[in-house]
Amino acid sequence: MIPLNLTPVSARLRLGLAALATAVALPAAAQELTIIREIDSNHYDAPRTAALAGSEVLFMMADTVVGLAEDMKTIEPLLAESWTVSDDGLTYTFKIRGDVTFCDGKKMTSEDVAYSLNRWLDPETKSPVRWRMGDVKSITAPDATTVVYELNAPHSELLYQLAQSFGSIVDKDTVEKLGKDFGVTGFNGTGPFCWESWTPRDKLVLTRHEDYHWGPANYENRGPAQVEKITWQVVPEAATRTVALMTGQGQVSPYVPFIGVDKLRKAPMVELAESDEAFWTNYIGFKIDKDGVDDPRVRQAINWAVDQAAMAEDLFFGEVQPAYSYVSKGALDYDPKVEPLLQKYDPEKAAQLLDEAGWKLNADGKREKDGKLLQPVVYTFTGSWQQVVESVQAYLLKVGIDMQIQPFDATVAWGKLATQEFDMFTMGFPYVSAGDALNLYFRSSNMPSPNRMNWNDPETDKLLYEGSTAVSDEVRAKDYGVVQEKVTEAAVWLPIYHKPMQIAYSNKLKPFTAHNIYGAGLYKGLQLGYK
Amino acid sequence: MLRTIIDRLLLSIPVLLGVLLFGFLLLQLVPGDPARVVAGPTATPEIVAQIRQEMGLDRPVLVQFWAYLERMAQGDMGRSMISNKTVTSELGAAVGPTVELMLASLVWSVPIGIAMGTAAAVLRGSLADRVVMGLSVAGVSLPIFFISLLLIQYLGVVWPIFPFIGRPGPWYTPEGFMALFLPALSLGLILIGPVARMTRSSVLEVLKLDHVRTARAKGLSEIRVVLKHGLRNALIPVITLIGLQAGYLLGGAVVTETIFSWPGLGRLVVGAILSSDFTVAQGAVLLFALGFITINLIIDILYSILDPRVRK
Repeated sequence: MIPLNLTPVSARLRLGLAALATAVALPAAAQELTIIREIDSNHYDAPRTAALAGSEVLFMMADTVVGLAEDMKTIEPLLAESWTVSDDGLTYTFKIRGDVTFCDGKKMTSEDVAYSLNRWLDPETKSPVRWRMGDVKSITAPDATTVVYELNAPHSELLYQLAQSFGSIVDKDTVEKLGKDFGVTGFNGTGPFCWESWTPRDKLVLTRHEDYHWGPANYENRGPAQVEKITWQVVPEAATRTVALMTGQGQVSPYVPFIGVDKLRKAPMVELAESDEAFWTNYIGFKIDKDGVDDPRVRQAINWAVDQAAMAEDLFFGEVQPAYSYVSKGALDYDPKVEPLLQKYDPEKAAQLLDEAGWKLNADGKREKDGKLLQPVVYTFTGSWQQVVESVQAYLLKVGIDMQIQPFDATVAWGKLATQEFDMFTMGFPYVSAGDALNLYFRSSNMPSPNRMNWNDPETDKLLYEGSTAVSDEVRAKDYGVVQEKVTEAAVWLPIYHKPMQIAYSNKLKPFTAHNIYGAGLYKGLQLGYK
Repeated sequence: MLRTIIDRLLLSIPVLLGVLLFGFLLLQLVPGDPARVVAGPTATPEIVAQIRQEMGLDRPVLVQFWAYLERMAQGDMGRSMISNKTVTSELGAAVGPTVELMLASLVWSVPIGIAMGTAAAVLRGSLADRVVMGLSVAGVSLPIFFISLLLIQYLGVVWPIFPFIGRPGPWYTPEGFMALFLPALSLGLILIGPVARMTRSSVLEVLKLDHVRTARAKGLSEIRVVLKHGLRNALIPVITLIGLQAGYLLGGAVVTETIFSWPGLGRLVVGAILSSDFTVAQGAVLLFALGFITINLIIDILYSILDPRVRK
């Protein structure tokens, strides 16, 4: 690991060398900036990718029908200047702006909007996130500025889902012209930046959309963007990313390793944009129909036995929030009633529960029942997750649970996590609301994946259906609240931490606020500009 | 000479076929599921099944292999399972930066390695000899990632002279040249040690031979003796070594390219394997094999130029 404190050298010499290197390496840097990222997306075709790396760029290249404010609760106009919802919650009528153009200069119409949304819906597209659209009856464009979105059943979070990058509005002609190469060799959207070139796994270059002026209303700058060119540069090595920021070879990075955050916070040339809220939760789930962890008392005991606060401090240098709830407090429809149910570190209570469940300590200090040891197998990813589960393993061993760790690298892990082989598994996910997370993970129809817990509860299904089809916010919040209470009591997960958005940026840039939408902290990139 | 080249080319064909089979089987044995990777973590089993069918992964392995051979025979390496770009375009974009990096590291490290080895041989037993041998042992022993990080720390951070992320352009542009410097320095450092050691022992052997004694007896200067009669004849094993080391450079390039975010074949193959992009990984493995075969072919030809006995 590269030490981050720079060795004292003649300040004048270093300044001169830095100026020389910058002059050679970064010509015309004042109007350009480099965003350093860890990984690339598989492609940039909005409805076909669920990758965070895809969303980060898609938000800049395209707009959605509606936007989501930084509070993660307020829906605001974007391509639609207004909208109405029918009393039965089945029909959304969007009034589309008439002054929007694509990057190639062509005027955007409601037909493009309807086309893009229908393409997301089309089974041929094979969108992994099609469920987010709800039970759609039809999406039509009766005139040049109107889009009618009709549902078979109300979808209370439809606007939040339409604000995500999957609902990016793109040019029909370009999509049809490029076919499967759309988002690979080219792109044509209405966002503040336009596609220039992409070298997969290396860099993606965007140029400013000069006509752009329809950015989110809560932004001081609604367009055009302040910088002419943005390069999304992939730098896989964590230490290189950190020092690249410190030496000015990159100006922004949302991919700061936890170990480097505090150093960057203290570094004079780097600032940190940090959000107070966290909309990314990492947890360990239980396959609740497997021997041992099928007993809620065992799962609760595991929750009581683990000290998330200490882990947040020791493993993540205090840069994450210890998690006890399934979604963070700032999320829409978070239920405060779960708070008394949260299981915070109490190893004695854990031991008591295990005793009650019949798992007694044997001579080796391990829990045993009917001659069988309590040895749940956890499937996890290699890398930082491994440290987390090793820490959990140590906590569980203190109460006699001999957890077995089976790490897989990412190429294998997703396939393994779709099986029924494990007792526990690790997972992290971004969300915009409690309903977003609950509908994804706890519907029985989503077994065995992404409902890897095999949580099969008719009442949960009923509540989730009622919540997602509720016409009133109160009903939705109540239904989702009950589900949160149910799964928390049943200890279906062991929440580990909520990750707040942290973006490191050069102090030559104007300060900006980090967004939390799907982990894409720079959102439209309109705030990025030099002082 | 032509006969030698044709013989070597014909011998390369079964090697290439073996590589094709090996690359295909190796990736079949990896337990990853590319359809699942493409579908993403939240995809339902139905979506994953649809994608698997579309990618042809539900077909028997032999059918997949036959289809692969057919496509290769037509020069079609397929499309990336992840990006949908053609494999040839992916490889085409990556091969240039890797060749550039390898040549840049060879260009400076081989002459220095040969000079150091020759000097050590001529000054055998002296302090200079020990220093050269000590440095070459260090060069062989230090892992390339460590060398790379040290170079970044001192030539990128403490003395911020060179950039260390990405490749802004080809080597002949100012920014491209600056960006190439640290990765080429890092990769070349692992080559100097073996070249210096091999040159030293080879020159020492040659300097004992009769023709060198004759050259000295003729009154030639020591420099002329060493350079013209010693070094030239000592180069054959050194060239063999450089050929072998060029293969190691390809391996070293994987690490160097990752650390310096260099968009070459090494990073491409690592990225393809990590994302279960079978078609790109197969293409990259094939290209690596072709690289090895070509390098060995060039070495064989150089042999026959330097040593006429090989041609017989």
